[in-house]
Amino acid sequence: MLLQLKNIFKWVNSGGQRIFLLKDINLEVAEGEFISVMGPSGSGKSTLLNVIGMLDTFDEGEYNFLDESVHTLKEKHRSNLYKEYIGFVFQSYHLLDDLTVQENLEMPLLYKKFKGSERKAMVADMLDRFNIVGKKDLFPAQLSGGQQQLVGVARALIANPKLILADEPTGNLNSQQSEEIMELFKKLNQEEGVTIIQVTHSEKNAAYGSRIINLLDGRKV
Amino acid sequence: MIKNYLKIAWRNLIRNRSFSFLNILGLSIGLAMTTLIVLWVNYELGFDRFHEKIDRLYEVNNQYEIEGEIWTWNSTPKPMAPTIKKDYPEIEKVSRYFYDNSYLFAWNDQKIKATGTMVDPDFLDMFSFPLIQGDVNSVLNDVNSVVITESFSEKLFGNQDPIGKMVKIDNRDIFKVTGILKDVPPNTHFSFEFLIPWSYLTQQGWDDKNWGNNSVATYVLLKENTDIDTFSNKIVSLRENYDKDTPDIKTLLYPYSKTYLYGEFENGVEMGGRIELIRMFGFIAIIILIIACINFMNLSTARSEKRSKEVGVRKVLGAPRKSLIGQFVGESVLITFISATFAIILVLLLLPSFNNLVERPLSLNMASIGFWMVAIGVTIFTGLLAGSYPALYLSGFKPSSVLRGTFKKVDAMVTPRKVLVILQFSVAIVLITASLIITQQLHKVQNRQLAYAKNNLIYSSLEGDMEKNYDLIKTELLESGAFTSVTKTNSPITESWSNTWGFEWEGKNGQDKTIIHRLISDDGVVNTMGLELIEGRDFDLQKYPTDSTAAILNQSALELMGFEDPIGKKIKDNGIDWHIIGVIKDFVYNSPFQKIEPMVIEGAKGWFNVIHMRMNPEVNTAQNLAVAERIFNKYNPEYPFNYEFVDAAYAKKFNDQRTTGKLANIFTLLTIFISCLGLFGLASYVAENRIKEIGVRKVLGASVGTITGLLSKDFLKLVFVSILIAIPVSWYFMSNWLEEFAFRIDISWWVYLISGGLTLIVAFVTVSFQAIKAARANPIKSLRTE
Ligand SMILES: Nc1ncnc2c1ncn2[C@@H]1O[C@H](COP(=O)(O)OP(=O)(O)OP(=O)(O)O)[C@@H](O)[C@H]1O
Ligand SMILES: [Mg+2]
Repeated sequence: MLLQLKNIFKWVNSGGQRIFLLKDINLEVAEGEFISVMGPSGSGKSTLLNVIGMLDTFDEGEYNFLDESVHTLKEKHRSNLYKEYIGFVFQSYHLLDDLTVQENLEMPLLYKKFKGSERKAMVADMLDRFNIVGKKDLFPAQLSGGQQQLVGVARALIANPKLILADEPTGNLNSQQSEEIMELFKKLNQEEGVTIIQVTHSEKNAAYGSRIINLLDGRKV
Repeated sequence: MIKNYLKIAWRNLIRNRSFSFLNILGLSIGLAMTTLIVLWVNYELGFDRFHEKIDRLYEVNNQYEIEGEIWTWNSTPKPMAPTIKKDYPEIEKVSRYFYDNSYLFAWNDQKIKATGTMVDPDFLDMFSFPLIQGDVNSVLNDVNSVVITESFSEKLFGNQDPIGKMVKIDNRDIFKVTGILKDVPPNTHFSFEFLIPWSYLTQQGWDDKNWGNNSVATYVLLKENTDIDTFSNKIVSLRENYDKDTPDIKTLLYPYSKTYLYGEFENGVEMGGRIELIRMFGFIAIIILIIACINFMNLSTARSEKRSKEVGVRKVLGAPRKSLIGQFVGESVLITFISATFAIILVLLLLPSFNNLVERPLSLNMASIGFWMVAIGVTIFTGLLAGSYPALYLSGFKPSSVLRGTFKKVDAMVTPRKVLVILQFSVAIVLITASLIITQQLHKVQNRQLAYAKNNLIYSSLEGDMEKNYDLIKTELLESGAFTSVTKTNSPITESWSNTWGFEWEGKNGQDKTIIHRLISDDGVVNTMGLELIEGRDFDLQKYPTDSTAAILNQSALELMGFEDPIGKKIKDNGIDWHIIGVIKDFVYNSPFQKIEPMVIEGAKGWFNVIHMRMNPEVNTAQNLAVAERIFNKYNPEYPFNYEFVDAAYAKKFNDQRTTGKLANIFTLLTIFISCLGLFGLASYVAENRIKEIGVRKVLGASVGTITGLLSKDFLKLVFVSILIAIPVSWYFMSNWLEEFAFRIDISWWVYLISGGLTLIVAFVTVSFQAIKAARANPIKSLRTE
């Protein structure tokens, strides 16, 4: 078992009223799964992903990640936990504009205190694996959307996370680019056993996963 | 990691050129101005500090109560020093210092004037004016010995060995050069080029035992470990045993170290002095630096939206908040270092003019490690100060909200930023008001009715044979046609060198110790100076030989004495009965900033130091001066012809205030400039943030004017608040400043109207530049930016 959500509630108070963003979510994810989260806009998909990624808190319920109960952990512990095990991929890539491809890839390693020589090797390995060695000195603005997302995925993977959380990773891409990214996810999942949870609006992309979770108004259906 | 931060910081700098430019410009100017002021303050605080025995050196002061008011002054009777030495075992050494005067030195064919005076032999042992040649213990032992400074020695003797040379001083006696002093540094209030032993004064019969003649400075060096409080209590009643006439004048010891910066007394209480000016500018230096830092804070945080994504991504990738704070602070330190480099260049460029302005030889001591340590320290401190708030603010963003894209587009004008802008502009308005008031005050004093004619009037000191040949000189000057009127006096018309409370007149209240100034004059004083007679007449010894004991009063003196019909009345001074022959309007002498004190012009029975000559306005000045020089050289060949224009001498009285005024103007301009840089930057962010709103409004038909108004309104509100804050603050400071002057302006309301209005206009122009740019942009383009 990689993670387990039990009766998760999240709400905000607005005008004296409690608005539920997540309602009684129960979810178990085993290592090696590839899950697609679907649902209409505003149904809480991103919220759920942020809760799983520990970027956001919840108000009620239990969350266990690798036998640690996240809901009881201190902020600092929690961030150590996600830093170590989770990689994020975003719809709008979120590469740092002021850094080159190579430097963007290196950044998570800096924060994880890898040595210089190790970092070099790992970055070189990633560039190689994703076939972007020729682009290593370019800035994000000089890449196409698909190439940027490729770098985004590479960056999420570089520190060998157990779990990848991807919020509409292909939302800004055309269908051919989407397909490439999805193929990449599939390969990572099958050949390297990386657990993936992705949010998507496309049935076709969702089909790459082994399981689909549907959300409606913050509730699992 | 540091490398990574620096890289990011550097690329950020390059990418956001206008932001970097505004920041670096503001910080560079701020740092440069602060450095200049700190150099000056440091110099002033170091004044006289080089004397090794400074902690034990005291200046002897007197204090006396007259009609409930306490007067404190620092000139002492000549017998005071030997008396102190004899009576008080706590004293190690004493020295008198006769006032500085200019004397003519002659050696072979060389004739050069130098400034110096007589001192007791221990003087050189008390103060640290080191001898290059000669023995401290004996150089001033012999009556006819003289010690001169290195550069004066070079002027007089060239490369020759000065020791043992015989020089004639003031055409009177021959002195032997016994010692060479290192030049007196500019940062001490002594400025002599030679010293002669006190015994020479005695030999000449100029010494006296008169306790009523307070005319020399007296310094004492206490023995080590003397308790100053105990000793002060002991010495305070010194005069009781010696001074028959005024035994109740108190004798006080004032620390020599404080004479330059403090040393001003009001009613017996120390009132500061120069230190106040230094504090004021020190305060301004800090304010300017803070204003420059505020710019940085405002621009950095207003830019936050651009950086929020970076914060979010870094946090998601594992950056702890600490490291983000480090990164942002690092960026501001980098910018500060770049600014500091420019600031140093700026300081080097500006120092010559600044030195001119403050009349000090300031320099950046780039060779010293201390300088670099301070410079780097200040830079890092400034970087931390400027970077702290942006760092805390930016590093606090939550990645979930930033990255989800729901990050709220914050108004660029949030509260802390508003407060900072208000602070900046309050300071700017206070400074503008101060500049206006200082300028106004100067203007008022400069245009004060002098009640004499300062133009076309020159004076020279009466020296050498001039006194002896005065009548011949005068006759020839007048006959030449170059001068229309000539008279001799005891002091230049711009100064009073003599005063007393010893005048007696019919009906005087015996307790009245009001000071009355004395001008002593020969024939034709009213005519030569252009004084304005109210009644009576000028001195005229040809027609009225008794005019040598006649007196002319100024109005204030007349009021003090209270004569109904003054002409012919007798007043007594120095044992002589003076009969009043005229009354003149109060004319300005001494400080033009103060009220005019009572003055009596006494007739030719007194002594003279100065000759005044009114030039014939029909002839050009150079010709007039050439004639005077010829005549002076004829009758006083030993001395070079020296003269002073009265109008120039009068103008010098404004030097200090003019400098203060100029400094205030400069710092005001720069403060406004730096504040506007910040406002300009903020306005550009506001415009950028609201670009979509502006686009929509334009499509819906809003005019450029409406949109400009919309964008400018928020800023102008802040300036209004600043005006409200600045008015009471500046009123408080400036009324305090004006208190110092008896002759002063009243602060008028329009000063605030001008400073407030000016600030509003400048702020409006700054903001509307951005607003108009945004308002005129093509809405189609801006709507597409989302
Ligand atoms: N801080 C918040 N305060 C109030 N409401 C919020 C907050 N965060 C999210 N919401 C609301 O929660 C709901 C779920 O948001 P979420 O971003 O998870 O939707 P989503 O399923 O990812 O939608 P989309 O497909 O458009 O990305 C939305 O209605 C959103 O308005
Ligand atoms: Mg979403």
